[in-house]
Amino acid sequence: MAKTDTQGSAALDKRGLTDDQLRAMFRNMLQQRQLDNRGFQLNRQGKVPFALGSEGHEAIQAGAAMAFERGKDILAPYYRDLGLSLGVGLTPYEILLSLFARAADHNGGRQFPNHYSSKKAGVMSFSSILAAHIPHAVGAAHAIKMRKEAGRAVLVTCGDGTTSEGEWHESMNFASIHKLPIVMLVENNEWAISTPLHLQMGQPEIWKRAEGYGMPGRRFNGFDPIETYANVKEALDRARSGGGPTLLEGTCYRFLAHSTDDNDMTYRTREEVVEHRKDDPVPRFERVIIDNGLMTIAEVDAMKKEILKETNEATDRAEAMPYPEAADLYKHVYEGAWQPWQ
Amino acid sequence: MARPICRAARTSLSGRRIPPRPGTITPPVTSTTKAPALTDEQLVAMLRVMIAQRTLENRGFALNRQGKIPFASASEGHEAVQAGAAMAFKRGSDILCPYYRDLGLALGVGLTPYEVMLSLFARAADHSAGRQFPHHYASKKLGIHTISSIIAAQLPHAVGAAYAIKIRKQTGRAVLATFGDGCTSEGEWHESLNFAAVHQLPIVFLCENNEWAISTPLSKQMGQPDVAKRAAGYGIPGVIVDGMDPIACYEAVAEALERARTGGGPTLVEGKCYRFLSHTTDDDDRTYRSREEVEAHRSSDPVPCFERLLVERGLLTEASLDALKQSVLKEANEATDAAEAMPYADPATLTDNVYAGGHEPWR
Repeated sequence: MAKTDTQGSAALDKRGLTDDQLRAMFRNMLQQRQLDNRGFQLNRQGKVPFALGSEGHEAIQAGAAMAFERGKDILAPYYRDLGLSLGVGLTPYEILLSLFARAADHNGGRQFPNHYSSKKAGVMSFSSILAAHIPHAVGAAHAIKMRKEAGRAVLVTCGDGTTSEGEWHESMNFASIHKLPIVMLVENNEWAISTPLHLQMGQPEIWKRAEGYGMPGRRFNGFDPIETYANVKEALDRARSGGGPTLLEGTCYRFLAHSTDDNDMTYRTREEVVEHRKDDPVPRFERVIIDNGLMTIAEVDAMKKEILKETNEATDRAEAMPYPEAADLYKHVYEGAWQPWQ
Repeated sequence: MARPICRAARTSLSGRRIPPRPGTITPPVTSTTKAPALTDEQLVAMLRVMIAQRTLENRGFALNRQGKIPFASASEGHEAVQAGAAMAFKRGSDILCPYYRDLGLALGVGLTPYEVMLSLFARAADHSAGRQFPHHYASKKLGIHTISSIIAAQLPHAVGAAYAIKIRKQTGRAVLATFGDGCTSEGEWHESLNFAAVHQLPIVFLCENNEWAISTPLSKQMGQPDVAKRAAGYGIPGVIVDGMDPIACYEAVAEALERARTGGGPTLVEGKCYRFLSHTTDDDDRTYRSREEVEAHRSSDPVPCFERLLVERGLLTEASLDALKQSVLKEANEATDAAEAMPYADPATLTDNVYAGGHEPWR
């Protein structure tokens, strides 16, 4: 797909976003990139066991997060959604607690790194099992419908690989039959670990499956946060107002290996990655921000320094926190003082 | 003579409106070879299969109500789609992966009424030695995979068989896999279509859309009513056909199978039909659908429709049609008596085929 975006156009079409929101999206993207790299560094230093790479997903996630209504909507993300989690309210400190698997982490250090969850922010617990979270998301949307909670919707995300799972199909079908308030956002980065898109599906456009479910489908440039915002906003608004589900496909690219445990040079060429780097959404959006006078170069530099400082502090603070007590091993496994999700 | 009948039958046979348009292929395919026209003998043979299916079908229900067999599933309304598909199947080279409502398809590819009765009576001489559900046939000789009661479980097996054909470079062979509309909501259905599309496997997916999945109507089964519309999402051709018209079904399935056999990859064919009876002898459809709905569909009952067509076109006379029905009834009666007289499986054989033994792998 042609990587057209707002850059270079005479007047920036902000699609209803304010200048503050555009700057906030940009900050989110920088923050994601910084934390992404921090995860890989800490892993190579032997300090965290594992981290997932989300480089290339910054624009789609910042745009989608901006369309999400905090305190109302529910987010059912997948494990590559660092930026989406930041965008809906998770802090770098919370991300680092997850990476370091400390006791103060939302999961008490029991989950994989980069598998956050936050009842407060409306972020469901992540699953490492591909597509396992989609029936949960559809269930949450079904609950919203049954409880007649108008104005709420579920945003569920996944990668291209997940669309081959049976649960993906069953979830899409159920959501469309019952006209549930849910948006299925596929972050199509062309690689499912080592499986390229042409070995993943018989034709390369996921949104084309929408018609078979009788729901609207859209495809957009996931390297453009503004276009992403506009598409996700339209779909979420439709879901919140009883218009049923939407299938969205944002095209992006995975610049890093699947995770710190993967070496992508065993299955794809450096040339392919370098070619896609030309479209890297972070420097592209930086140019959009500067060219349109939303920030000066000096302000961007200051923002980057501030983010680095925040990341360093969050790293030190999280690292200094204790691991969970071994005696807590069975906590949350059996019945206890657990409060059900509402 | 045969070709004009095919054309006329397409639009006139059941008189039903099939959205969007019978025979529509989306996306358009370039490699379509027109199915060879049916001969008069083949048209009469299709009708015979349809009448045999209807007769054996009613026999299954009658035997169940007499307390002679434990269970039967119902395929009334599926005669046309199955007779048409079976006529497109190449015996001795294609592989059939049917589901439990495919009595006519099984007959059409060569299973005998006696074999069907052995299955219903669960006798030792049955292909599964009386171990399977009634109407769950299998025949290595005819290329019929064993039938699964688990919805969609047959599709990964069918795709696996097609994958084997591709890996072994057995050109000219294809797999025909069938299922109902309810099956399309299963994850395995999606995974199977996707895998077949990725690897361009020689397989035809035939959905016999009868509007009911036991008690679930189509409106509660999917968000839009055309299964074939899903084909575009997999990048394979999707065809909607009037499932009450055996000639239209033959043409659609024959074209799809020929495309598969010649390396053109998979096709999703949807035959729109109707389930006139309850799901099985254990089900009472009056608890979930109106008599009016069933009666309204009876006007497009494929068996009398096709009988009329063949008589009108002079392929049969009233007398020869009666004789055909009598011969089918006689065969069904004889098969019933012969199967009933056979012994049950010996309890001593209980663990046969369960553990390693003289079993020959499928080829």
